[in-house]
Amino acid sequence: MNSVIIFLIVTGLILFLATTVGLLRFPDFYSRMHAAGKGDTLSSLLMLGGLALYEFHEINVATLLVGAKILLIAVFIFMASPTATHAITDAGYESGVKPWQKEKTASEDEG
Amino acid sequence: MIWQIDLSVLSLIVLCGFATIMVKDLLSAAIIFGAYSFLMCLLWTEMGAVDVAFTEASVGAGVSTILFIAAAYQTTRIVKPRKSGRIFAKIVALAASVAMGLVLLAAQTNFPGFADPESPASLHLSPYYITQTLADTAVPNMVTSVLADYRGFDTMFETAVIFTAGLAVIAILRRVKHIDRCELPDPYTISAGSQDNIIRFVSRQLVPFMQLFALYVVAHGHHSPGGGFQGGVILGASFILLAITYDIQLVQQRMNEKWNILLGNIGVLIYASIGFICLLLGANFLDYSMLSKILPATDPVMARSHGMLGIEIGVAIAVMAIVVTIYLNLASNGKLDKGL
Repeated sequence: MNSVIIFLIVTGLILFLATTVGLLRFPDFYSRMHAAGKGDTLSSLLMLGGLALYEFHEINVATLLVGAKILLIAVFIFMASPTATHAITDAGYESGVKPWQKEKTASEDEG
Repeated sequence: MIWQIDLSVLSLIVLCGFATIMVKDLLSAAIIFGAYSFLMCLLWTEMGAVDVAFTEASVGAGVSTILFIAAAYQTTRIVKPRKSGRIFAKIVALAASVAMGLVLLAAQTNFPGFADPESPASLHLSPYYITQTLADTAVPNMVTSVLADYRGFDTMFETAVIFTAGLAVIAILRRVKHIDRCELPDPYTISAGSQDNIIRFVSRQLVPFMQLFALYVVAHGHHSPGGGFQGGVILGASFILLAITYDIQLVQQRMNEKWNILLGNIGVLIYASIGFICLLLGANFLDYSMLSKILPATDPVMARSHGMLGIEIGVAIAVMAIVVTIYLNLASNGKLDKGL
C-alpha cells in the first residue's frame, strides 16, 4: 500500500518536473502548451490518486469522505485542465501565433 | 508553520507584486496579479487561515482577475509612457507619504508587539472565541460565527459595500442607448474567445457542478471553511464562465439585468431584515438568539446558528448578483450585448 502511494506521488512529482522543463525549453507556444497541458494533468491526477489512497489507510466514514472529495477534485481537473489548455492554444491560433518550423523561421519563434 | 515554505512563498509573492507594477502589458499584469493572489492563498492555508485563503482563491485569484481582463478588453492593453514632468507635485507626494509613514511608525510603538501573548486581544478576546463559540452558537467553525454573529454589523456593511460597488459600476458604465462616443481605437485589444465546441461542452457540463458546490459552500460554512461570500462568488463565477464561453446574451436570457439588480437588493435586504426581526422581537439588532421565539423547535443557541445561515444566504445572493452585474457591464462596456 505504502509503496504504491510513494510510487504514485514520486511519479507525479517527476512528471511535474518534466512539465516545467518542457515549458521552459520547448521552442514555441504550441509545444509549450502541449507540455503544460499533458504533464500537468497527468501529474496532478497521479498525486491526487496517491493522496486519496493515503486517506484510505484506515477505512471509516471520515477518511472515505475525504478520499471521495480528493477523487472528485481529480475528476474535475481531468475535465477542466485539458480544456483550459485547449482554450489557450485555440486563442493563440486565432490570434495568429506562428508554429515553430525547423531552420526556416527559427528567428521568429516567439509568439 | 514550516518556515522554508513560508519564506519561499513570501519571496515569490514579493516578486509577483513588483512584476505586477513593472509590467507594461496590462493583460500580463492581471495574470501575474492572479498568480500573486494564488500565492497569498497558499500562504494563508499554510498559516492555518483557511477561510481567508478560500476567499482569496475565489475572489482574488478567480473573479477579480477576470474583472481586470474584462476592463483591459474594453479599454487598452498597453500602458502609455507618461511624460515626465510635474516635478513639484511628485516631491510633494513623496514628502506627504514619507511624513505619513513616519506618523504610522511613531504610532506603532504604542501597539502591543506582533503576536504578543500578553496583548489584550490574546488574553481576553481570542480565548473567549475559542472556548465559548460552540456553547454560545452551536457553530463549530468559529470564523463563521465571529464573522456572522459576534461581528455581524461588520459583515452587513461589507455586503452593503459590495452592493454599492455594483451600483457604482451600473451608474458609470451602463448605457441604455447606444451612444458610441468613447470607443477607443486600439490595435492591442484582446481577441474575444472563439466559438469552440469543446470549450462550450465542457463548461456546460461543469457549470451545474460549480453551482452545486457553491450551494454546499454556503450551507456548509458553519462546519467547514466557506460561507456566503465564497459561495456567492463561485455562483457568480459559474455565470461568468457561461458568459465567456458562450456569450452575454445567454446569461441575459437565464438571468437578465432586472433580476440581477433585484437579487442584489434582496440579498442585502435579507441580511438587514433578519436584524430588524431581532429588533422587533425585543433583542438588539442582529441578536439572533431571540429568533427562537418564531422559529419552531429551537432554543436560543440553535437560533443563533439558524440566524447565521439566513444572513449567509442573503450575502451569497447579493454577492452573486453583483459579481455578475459588474462582469457583464465591464465586459460589454455597459451595453450588455456582446463582449469578452
